[in-house]
Amino acid sequence: MKNVIANKEYLSSLRELRFKVMGALVLVLLFTALAGGFVAFQTMKKEREMAQVEARETWLNQGEKNPHSAAHYGSFAFRPKSELSFFDFGVDSYVGSNVYLEAHRQNDAKFSAAQDSSSLIRFGEMTVAFVLQLLVPLLIIFLCFDAISKEKEEYTLKLMLSQGVSIQQVVWGKILGYSKALSWIILPTLLLVFVLMIAGTEAGFTADSFLRFGLVLGIYCVYFFLFLASSVLVSAYSASSRNALLSLLGIWILACIILPKATANLGASVFEAPSNFEFREAIKKDEANGIDGHNPSDKRFDALKKKVMAQYNVNSIEELPVNFDAIAMQEGEKYSSMVYSTHFDRIEQIYQQQNAISAYSALVNPYMAVRNLSMGLAGSDYKTALGFQKYAETYRYQMVEMLNNYMRDFSKTGDWEKKAPAEIYAKMPEFDFKNPGIGQVLSQQWIALLAMFLWVCLLVFAINNLSKRLTF
Amino acid sequence: MLTAKNLTKNYGTHRALDGLNLTIESGEIFALLGQNGAGKTTTINCFLGFIEPSSGEAIINGLSVKDHALETKKHLAYIPETVMLYPNLTGSENLAFFSSLAGFSYSQKELETFLLKAGLQSEAHQQRVGGYSKGMRQKVGIAIALAKKAKALLLDEPTSGLDPKASNEFSEIVKVLSKNGTAILMATHDIFRAKEIATRIGIMKEGHLVSVIEAATISANELEQLYLQTV
Repeated sequence: MKNVIANKEYLSSLRELRFKVMGALVLVLLFTALAGGFVAFQTMKKEREMAQVEARETWLNQGEKNPHSAAHYGSFAFRPKSELSFFDFGVDSYVGSNVYLEAHRQNDAKFSAAQDSSSLIRFGEMTVAFVLQLLVPLLIIFLCFDAISKEKEEYTLKLMLSQGVSIQQVVWGKILGYSKALSWIILPTLLLVFVLMIAGTEAGFTADSFLRFGLVLGIYCVYFFLFLASSVLVSAYSASSRNALLSLLGIWILACIILPKATANLGASVFEAPSNFEFREAIKKDEANGIDGHNPSDKRFDALKKKVMAQYNVNSIEELPVNFDAIAMQEGEKYSSMVYSTHFDRIEQIYQQQNAISAYSALVNPYMAVRNLSMGLAGSDYKTALGFQKYAETYRYQMVEMLNNYMRDFSKTGDWEKKAPAEIYAKMPEFDFKNPGIGQVLSQQWIALLAMFLWVCLLVFAINNLSKRLTF
Repeated sequence: MLTAKNLTKNYGTHRALDGLNLTIESGEIFALLGQNGAGKTTTINCFLGFIEPSSGEAIINGLSVKDHALETKKHLAYIPETVMLYPNLTGSENLAFFSSLAGFSYSQKELETFLLKAGLQSEAHQQRVGGYSKGMRQKVGIAIALAKKAKALLLDEPTSGLDPKASNEFSEIVKVLSKNGTAILMATHDIFRAKEIATRIGIMKEGHLVSVIEAATISANELEQLYLQTV
């Protein structure tokens, strides 16, 4: 019975001009976004990979020089583009693409794509995810706002029910039929995403890439089901098709435009983050005075001097068999790193709290759920960028530590001229940041997953308990 | 076949249907006359289960509509006042759709036979209903009812808006159905049509079935007089 209704709905949707025009429009947008996104992805990916190779070469071919000069000369870490980011840019364009790694300083990631563009980028980029998350729901609404209300207006619902079908069968049949019609738009697009992912990136036929793609497909299907089911339900409860359309457009504006902005603003005002200037000043102050305020740098320096002299059993710095400057620098590096990560974690926590409001809003707004999951799976979310920043800092520390330790052992205190051989730079492994694995993404996005599950349950329940005495 | 027992429906304080008692046997055509709001459509909706009566019950083939909502619909065919159908589908596709909802799967040939029986010319069968006239849509509605082979037929002002020829054709089909043993309940404003085809005629006023007359015992003019006096 359900299938009979589904087939009829499918057939008449395909014959309808409304669906043909809007469907074609959305399909063109999707393919344009996909082509644009993929070209931009490839360009950026190549640029960054080349830049990373170049940075490595420059690092390796520094020639003989004092290790501390090398530490100041530094290197660069580039954030790799994740394989699925051509499909969903997420926050990719707004977070920095590379970090300058140098001694004494923990730099922020700089040079985001947004900096290179006109300020119009603020209005959003045209990505496949954008079309899928915002425009396809609109297509769904226009396709099925009158699913039931029109049948009521034209008495065909009565005729259908008089043939002995239940209203549930009608609703499920409609959802099934519209899904079939929609799959003409969704499936080719996602198939192309899959082909591009496998053929156009280095993802290859791995379990991770299949799982990632499968999940992307799954969450978007669930998302569209939510819009389909709510549209049909609203249509069933509305007194007229006009009312149904107005209600549904209201819901769309609320869920896709107002709530996301409102939750982001709410997060930023409830959990206020310090400015970049305050953040840097606080670090500077704590480095000078000690993180507890009672342990200034000169005191720390004296204590270190005593400790090292005792360790080597000598009475003056000059007698030390090692380079005390290097030890002191390494100790300073350790301390500043500790101070930096303390402050970084604190500010990080504030950002997490801000984002948590948006994340929890997924429970009332499935748009947020799909947005967060999609970014996460595409590897273009905030958490991925954060992971990169932390990884780069760890790498920087390792690099400076390696150079300091080398300097400590091969020269004497006060010798800033002695040159280390060119081979030592190869001791530092290549910068090799990997985007978070799928398990990590899912565990970070459990709220979104839960929200989608709850919404499906809610709508299935609502449909199965739809009163058969709707207003006729 | 169709029985109403003390059927009553209240909308708030308004009583749309007040203790209606009615039995329609197989092969009988019962015409319900009455002004708008007299309770004719409410009666039909009770038989269809679209309206739950406040008290009393509607019984089809011995089964209470309230307890056997889907079961009783198997014995029932219904033609609404305005048969709108789906404009994007052809007449034949519309018929096939509604028949399969009732659990029938007819061949193309059988569908055409039903449509021809309902009086729809064969050129129209494969045209989309969007281009049909009201009379043509009504014929598809009849074909849907015919294809269901139901024991009872409910008609809600079936001839309103039809031209005299279509209306006459419609009467002929209804007569054939009743000869074959279908119980028919027809709500109508058309006194002359009612006199011509009905076995019995009931006149309703404000939810009451005021009088029931054997159609054979009264002339059309007398019926009109009686109707005007009643309402």
